[in-house]
Amino acid sequence: MNAQLDYIDQPAAQMVSGPGAVPGPARLVAAEQWTPGSSDGLLLAVDAEPEQRFAGAELIAIDFPAFTDGRGLSLAVLLRTRLGFRGELRAVGDIRADMLHYLYRCGFDSFSMSGEGSPVDADGVTKTTAFDALAPYSDCYQASVRQPRPAYRRVERCIAQELSSPSF
Amino acid sequence: MYRYDDFDRQFIAERVAHYREQTTRYLAGELSESEFLQLRLRNGLYIQRLAPMLRVAVPYGTLSSGQLRKLAHIARHYDRGYGHLSTRQNMQFNWPELAEVPDILAELAEVDMHAIQTSGSCIRNVTTDQFAGVAADEEVDPRPYCELIRQWSTNHPEFDWLPRKFKIAVTGAASDRAAIAVHDIGLRARREDAEGIVFDVFVGGGLGRTPVIAAEIRKSLPVRHLLTYLEAIMRVYNRYGRRDNKYKARIKILVRAMTAEGFRDRVDAEWAHLKGSESTLTDEEIRRIEAFFTPHEYPPLNDADLGPARLEDPAFAAWLRHNVSPHRVPGYAIVTLSTKVTGVPPGDVSDVQMEAVADWADEYGFGELRLGHEQNFVLPDVPQSRLRELWRRTAALQLGVANVGLISDIVCCPGGDYCSLANAKSIPVAEAIQQRFDDYDYQHDLGELDLNISGCMNACGHHHVGHIGILGVDKKGAEYYQISLGGHSGAGGDEASLGEIIGPSFSRAEVPATIGRILDVYLKRRIDDEPFLHCYRRIGIQPFKDHVYERAA
Repeated sequence: MNAQLDYIDQPAAQMVSGPGAVPGPARLVAAEQWTPGSSDGLLLAVDAEPEQRFAGAELIAIDFPAFTDGRGLSLAVLLRTRLGFRGELRAVGDIRADMLHYLYRCGFDSFSMSGEGSPVDADGVTKTTAFDALAPYSDCYQASVRQPRPAYRRVERCIAQELSSPSF
Repeated sequence: MYRYDDFDRQFIAERVAHYREQTTRYLAGELSESEFLQLRLRNGLYIQRLAPMLRVAVPYGTLSSGQLRKLAHIARHYDRGYGHLSTRQNMQFNWPELAEVPDILAELAEVDMHAIQTSGSCIRNVTTDQFAGVAADEEVDPRPYCELIRQWSTNHPEFDWLPRKFKIAVTGAASDRAAIAVHDIGLRARREDAEGIVFDVFVGGGLGRTPVIAAEIRKSLPVRHLLTYLEAIMRVYNRYGRRDNKYKARIKILVRAMTAEGFRDRVDAEWAHLKGSESTLTDEEIRRIEAFFTPHEYPPLNDADLGPARLEDPAFAAWLRHNVSPHRVPGYAIVTLSTKVTGVPPGDVSDVQMEAVADWADEYGFGELRLGHEQNFVLPDVPQSRLRELWRRTAALQLGVANVGLISDIVCCPGGDYCSLANAKSIPVAEAIQQRFDDYDYQHDLGELDLNISGCMNACGHHHVGHIGILGVDKKGAEYYQISLGGHSGAGGDEASLGEIIGPSFSRAEVPATIGRILDVYLKRRIDDEPFLHCYRRIGIQPFKDHVYERAA
């Protein structure tokens, strides 16, 4: 889960890439202009419907109008799990460092951020040392795009009888 | 009760460390106010009128005596010696220092507690029947399924940034003490011969500005499909719920816009993709969680004959009648300790009271207790033969008032004294009503009467489901109170309903007398022992309206 944070120079933007992400096409076009097989990246609004023709895109960028807008998370999950989209999935718009772990678990692998609040500084060095911004938790209960199996299907959890009496 | 294993502990420890780091960045000026707001809300921290308020999660209202002692310690060391029982089975602290909150969370983690998702636009602490597991009228103990939902919804990557807050309630008893009809999702657990545990699923209920009774969208959902079906509901809501207007962002507005049938079809279409996926619960996991809630080994007892004690001591008899509920095991009883004492804000409890309740939970039970949404403590496993002894001890700590379900057992939000959202104060109104109806004989004669007060439209005092509901409103800068009649949460087997507004609002000074006039009508019109709600449903609002406004006319 320890994704390497790379800094990719972009005009007025910083990019943090997760593992396996490659710098995608520079040009992003809206769904109406985009055609399958195009080398352009596809730019989707958070309220876009996932269309099967998007599945072959090289890059899909989802534009968050506000970092609190969770529609982009559900759209990402649908692109990854329903359409089987395997290209680069980039979060653009109002993206904040503290949102990266949610985005990452929902299948995003690159993040275009305005300079302020980015977890990497201009030299590409991670600012937050205590936490991996992409995975601040070593494990999570539920399934996600990154970990399709919930904890109860892969982790040996304690059963009631095994636990000794608590001290409280 | 559920107990943490290493997996839970590691997650909570990392959550505390993560929040500590976020607080440090905020205090160093590296995180904006608006960004930190969202992060602290997901950890239960509001900034209130006077100070921050930290809402600690008490999952489905169940806690151990040791956990309550820790809350008492937090009240003493980080607050002003008291905490507040909320209307959603949580405990709130009104005076913590923002910089100390990470330390409080670390202390909570020592006893397997947290404040995760107790505020913010995410899935909140799941609530249930405060008598779960011990109620005589229970078909299914809802707690294991609450715990499964708790784990599934904790730090959910897709559903932590919803259009608005989201509340799930579960019941498994004949009397719905969890008020599932007024939650975003209400689940009724039942047992079916062929399927085992199943759930009837209700969506789109809620209070607030637009009160709505939930619609049933699925019957008999087998437990193994519980989480995938919830996932389908949440995804439809997360994608299509309104985000342009916070007053129209709750799921009830979406369900109404789509119609319940339309919403159900959307959910079913989504669920078709999810049913049978990896998130389907395994039999092993269901059994593992259920095993934590295996009934205690109750020393066998016969039902005690409390008749002579009743005759001897009418005050004890009144307490038995109102505060003691039937237990599913012979010889035991469920005791509700009322916090509703005249002069104390409803739900406020001191560290000394918390310590005492923790001791009683150990001495008169299995070291477990509950918080009810009516803002009282519940001791779930008291031997009937020791009820009188316990009752005598509760009086000294102002926890022995025999008023559960009566007019003075007021459900009340913190209101304008504390909350920055409130239009009006609510605590002084509660106190004025308690003072006016302090006469026990009169209260007992009135019988069962739910009186709920909210200081604003957000309806934290659940005024829509009070038999008498009082709502604080702002009338040209002055505090006024709107009164509604006939609401009901769904407990006791009567169908849930929303109160009807009686007419123009009243000044604070007029409220107690107005309530008095409403009660005059009831006492005059009731037939035999007919409770207020039944009488209201029979005669309608008009007689109340006529009498309340006749002087003004």
